[in-house]
Amino acid sequence: MSGTPYPKEQMHRIAYTKLSEQQISDKLSKVSGPTSASTLSDTFAGKSVRIVTDKGPALAYTFSETNRLALAENGGGAIQAGYGALTLDNVAFFSHLIPGTQRGYAVIVDQDTNLATVFELWFSGYEDNREVQREIYYGYVDQPGKQPPAARHAPTNRVEGKGFYWKQDAGAETLEFYPSAAYSNFVELSRFGGELSYCGPSDYIKINDNLYVYTRTECEFSGTFTAYAVDLNRIEQVGMRLGFDANDELEYYVFRGKGEWLGQLAQFEKFGDETGAPVPAADPGKTAAKGARRVYRPFKTMPKMTKAQVDALVATKSAAFPVRTTGPGASMAGNLGPPTVWLTAKSFTLRYDNAPAIEYRIDDAETLHWRKEGDANRTKARYQAWESTPGVIMFGHLLEGTPNHDGHSIVADFHQGLVTCFNGYLNTPYYANEAGVKILFGVIEMDGLTPPKYRRHFLTDEMIGRAVSQNYAPGLTSMHLYTTPHSLSWIIFTNTDAGGLEWSGPASYVKIRDGIYFIYWLEEACNGTLGTILVNLHTMRDVGIGYNCGAQGLNMSAIGAHERLAGGFDVMRFYQVKSTGSIV
Amino acid sequence: MTAKTKSTRRSFLKRGAILAAPLAAAAPAAIMTDNDLKARLARLENEAAIRALHQRWLHQINSGEALLPLSPSRIGNKDTENVSTIAPDHSAPFDAIEVAAHGGTATGRFRCTVEIETPIAQDCTFARMAHAQGSGFVRRTERRLLSVKYVESSGAWSISSAELAPL
Repeated sequence: MSGTPYPKEQMHRIAYTKLSEQQISDKLSKVSGPTSASTLSDTFAGKSVRIVTDKGPALAYTFSETNRLALAENGGGAIQAGYGALTLDNVAFFSHLIPGTQRGYAVIVDQDTNLATVFELWFSGYEDNREVQREIYYGYVDQPGKQPPAARHAPTNRVEGKGFYWKQDAGAETLEFYPSAAYSNFVELSRFGGELSYCGPSDYIKINDNLYVYTRTECEFSGTFTAYAVDLNRIEQVGMRLGFDANDELEYYVFRGKGEWLGQLAQFEKFGDETGAPVPAADPGKTAAKGARRVYRPFKTMPKMTKAQVDALVATKSAAFPVRTTGPGASMAGNLGPPTVWLTAKSFTLRYDNAPAIEYRIDDAETLHWRKEGDANRTKARYQAWESTPGVIMFGHLLEGTPNHDGHSIVADFHQGLVTCFNGYLNTPYYANEAGVKILFGVIEMDGLTPPKYRRHFLTDEMIGRAVSQNYAPGLTSMHLYTTPHSLSWIIFTNTDAGGLEWSGPASYVKIRDGIYFIYWLEEACNGTLGTILVNLHTMRDVGIGYNCGAQGLNMSAIGAHERLAGGFDVMRFYQVKSTGSIV
Repeated sequence: MTAKTKSTRRSFLKRGAILAAPLAAAAPAAIMTDNDLKARLARLENEAAIRALHQRWLHQINSGEALLPLSPSRIGNKDTENVSTIAPDHSAPFDAIEVAAHGGTATGRFRCTVEIETPIAQDCTFARMAHAQGSGFVRRTERRLLSVKYVESSGAWSISSAELAPL
């Protein structure tokens, strides 16, 4: 057997080694330059090139061969280094390290305009030494006797909303989505089997209307830095990758790749706004430090609890749908629709195929009594319910007294007699306060209602690739990008309605009716929340329930948002399970 | 990001340092024979210096370099709110600057429109992410009367207090 394409741990679960500065220096000292699966370009061989940047270094290069150069920074003494260059039409991309340091450069030169973008790269610039830092400088190739060009490459949002499949020359295959002007989303098809998508802070720089530069730093993960120039028409890339993998092996190579266009998402900035870098590196009035950028670091800030801590906390702090305008989750319910009283005074049983049946007796719009079938006593619980479309009721409640502090988020279709429950629970393997979820399918048993014998709600891929924005309340708007059949990503808009910070988590999708989908996502290694929403593409409004255990205890809270369709990507063909060979 | 994007986090105003305007150079002695004329000239010079100070201060407010904390009693007890921009209300009557007869102090009243930021609660992942990227605010625009008190010291005017009152 050749084995599966899946890693032992998904990227957000890998305990990446905290490499010391000395360890990094030792590893870098063994490398002379980037490797390449493609033949290196000789475009610079035998030439001297002086690059002048506006607020950065002057770099005087002498390229002796296709893989050796000499560099004098700011008029200093020359150092010798290995390099690799690749070209994409008029764009030349090269990268090198500076021996004896933890620094290096990636440089993009437009040989038609002589404009250049320079990335200075270094390790050990953040508390996690392995995370590659970058500073961007814009400039030009000095032409003796000629005036410097006035134009510069510049940050842009013109790449925002695009998505591509890429296959590099060494075989690495990825799906890469750019739903934000400050972050991006990637699915590692060949390295990780394509189950989940991940996010990283990104730069988008315009060379011209066809050619752009993209970067990504895998912050919170390996810290690896990827940069490439991309031709949006040819769908070709040349670039580099620098970092340490999960085995702490140095990855440093230049690559060439070809891809496929997957689609275009909507942008929400004002028409005419094509500015990039929408998330400022520093607060207004302050100067950003070299390499500074806003990075969402959810794992660092996540509260982490043991089972004993969770059990003790939940015993004293546990609340379902508390009446409040502030507190956990209140902002997510700003556009919540009115609750329904449809369940009031009804009794029914939700008979799950893969879990004990639950018997319900409903008192009023906020009080129910539940018990597992066969139990003598019922437990009183607070609940809330909403009717998303006639006959389809979403409701939820905590299951007090269960060993893992379960919470049920339920969609019951009383016209079809079908029910699906996202059964949230705590005491999960990595952090006890991090929610897990089981999907329960079943039927409704109630006087006057005959459920189907075989038919059930079912997992669906109909939403995969789509993007839907959610306005939860004034000032709080996100967009879901349904990236893979098992994950989704959320993008937070800036005050100028550009896509800003982004993160992702495991997810599943259940079809309730045409245009109505029940979706969950887990904020794993983030803050542990289980989010569940019932998306109604007819009314473009979602209702939902959040389930979270944090410093304020166990909470179940309502979610409600107005939605907009934001386009989609044609990606399902990349997620087909195949019995042999490549997964693509 | 557009050029009009405004601050969400601001440094507090440092009175008397950045908000100071030197008085204009004294007028030539040859024309200061008439006391009324002299007083009028001094008043005009003071008003000009205060207007220049006012413009620089508004620029600092609007560029995010300074913060104007709102008086809770004046804004409905929302003490977390910030004013992000102040713009002259051109539909309103003229501004008024009154310099005390003895000099040394002055008051200014300016009709303006203000953009007020109210931060959203950081009660969920999405809201925390919004704040992490420097947004996470709801903005509204309202008309206000900006009342400013000035004090002159060592030949320079500075702002001693400022208040935005609802109209």
